[in-house]
Amino acid sequence: MKSYLTVFRLRLRMELQYRGAMLGGIICQMVFGLILIALYRALYASRPQTMPVESVVTYVWLQQAFFRMLLASDPDLTDKIRTGAISYDLCRPVNLYGFYYFRSLALKMTGSLMRAVPMLLFAAVLPAGWRIGLPSSIPGLILGICALALGLLCVSAIENINMGFTMRTLDSRGVQAMLNLLMTLLCGNILPLTLFPDSWQKVITLLPYAQLLDAPIRLYTGVYALSDAVRVLGVQVFWTILLVFFGTWLWRHNQKRLILQGG
Amino acid sequence: MSYIQVEHLRKSYVVRKKREKGSLLREKSRIDALSDLSFEIGKGELVGYIGPNGAGKSTTVKILSGILTPDSGNVLVGGRVPWGSRKEYVRHIGVVFGQRMQLWWDVPILDSFSLLRDIYRISETAYQKRLAELTDALQLEDILRTPLRLLSLGQRMRAELCGSLLHRPELLFLDEPTIGLDSISKLALREFLRWENRENGTTILLTTHDMEDIHALCSRVMVLGHGQKLFDGDFSALLSRYDTVRTVLVRFEEETELPGIPSVSVSREGESLKLVYSPKELPTAELLERLRQTGTIREMTIQPQNIDHMIADMYEEMAL
Repeated sequence: MKSYLTVFRLRLRMELQYRGAMLGGIICQMVFGLILIALYRALYASRPQTMPVESVVTYVWLQQAFFRMLLASDPDLTDKIRTGAISYDLCRPVNLYGFYYFRSLALKMTGSLMRAVPMLLFAAVLPAGWRIGLPSSIPGLILGICALALGLLCVSAIENINMGFTMRTLDSRGVQAMLNLLMTLLCGNILPLTLFPDSWQKVITLLPYAQLLDAPIRLYTGVYALSDAVRVLGVQVFWTILLVFFGTWLWRHNQKRLILQGG
Repeated sequence: MSYIQVEHLRKSYVVRKKREKGSLLREKSRIDALSDLSFEIGKGELVGYIGPNGAGKSTTVKILSGILTPDSGNVLVGGRVPWGSRKEYVRHIGVVFGQRMQLWWDVPILDSFSLLRDIYRISETAYQKRLAELTDALQLEDILRTPLRLLSLGQRMRAELCGSLLHRPELLFLDEPTIGLDSISKLALREFLRWENRENGTTILLTTHDMEDIHALCSRVMVLGHGQKLFDGDFSALLSRYDTVRTVLVRFEEETELPGIPSVSVSREGESLKLVYSPKELPTAELLERLRQTGTIREMTIQPQNIDHMIADMYEEMAL
């Protein structure tokens, strides 16, 4: 267990090495947030929706703040798979899946938290109508944070499954491009899931992608009542366990049929 | 019983080729990387493992380090089957792949080392002792706190080697450890490997194309070709078998035509004549006498055969 924690700590320190990239990411996400909000305000001005616009604004800011959690994948691992340096990791007395699970967890957690804090501060001082809303209640905030933690565990499991496929195809771009599209669409990054037709939402909110950011945001904004919390967290736990199991199986299967080419 | 026992090892790969025009299916071909390979290595030996590219050297190392599962055959290393329980087995071995990296690119190498300490569950006291010993032997003191990406190739190789030896492996696989290193680094590395082998009794299997490495380090050498063992024994015995010709470069005072001498091939190299002969067929003294009769010699050198040429001859003879 200690080795997995060290991996986590080391990845954390690595993330801190590139502060310039972080600053760039924050500015990019801020601009994205502003553009999206301008868009939704224009939409609401011509045709108001059932969902209040303030709620949509909050949704957009939270999505943008934690964006890094979704698409950041470990560039070292894809490199290692391509070049075969992964052979070193196979010579270690550790569980390979666990090793990379913690690496990606550290990457996603530090990456998103370090960006989220300045982003949310920025979003809180904007003029009314553009500004991020307060949580619906204190328990809602706490439950939202719990759900976010579960979302992190879940997204790391998804990441490892992506990598499992990368090991088979040796190229991360194809599979990842497809999965990333699914990810940004189904977790509500492009269009808030709360704006989808109600019948669609019934299905989409049960999919694994909705567990990452949509569920925590809904708990924060109060779209999910406190009485729903147990059910919501339960669905998150269910998906996390299932995806970890599937990923572990996939990696073990890959390891057996693995061929490392060249000297 | 020997430390490493390999019996009738086989491994083949399927290679898919690009589809030919007019045919529907892609052509598949089987390549036998290893066909019926057997050998034994005793504890504390330092063995060189050579052969042309594609001979199956890396495949052997990958099987012995538990990464690949062979198609058939038995392998026991210290009483354990490498691919049997990988996690337990790899605790006892160390690997250095000269062309790949194990340390983390962006963090100081000391941090990468402490990760390895936790991975191998080395106790703090044992770790500190070993680290001090290796830092000293590999002269890493000044670069321990530098991120890997800022190090030169030679420094990186030394750091990699240190990383692979922290957990005191009984067996160390080295796959082209001196590739791309300058002469000083190479010599230092060889000196270190000799030290590690002597002081800690580490069994070392060295795969390389650098014959100087083998010459300097290994008394025993195994030659692999087409997935089979072609030679196993003393390196100097192997060389003496192929060390058959000498090259003479000779320059006369004035332009001279050399009369044909049987069993000597002559070519012109600048102003000199290059003669390749075999001392067995034509004693050197006799050749010198002939040359002296031909004209006044201004300058002359006799060169022994280059190791790489001998190995090339050997590969050629073995039809590799």
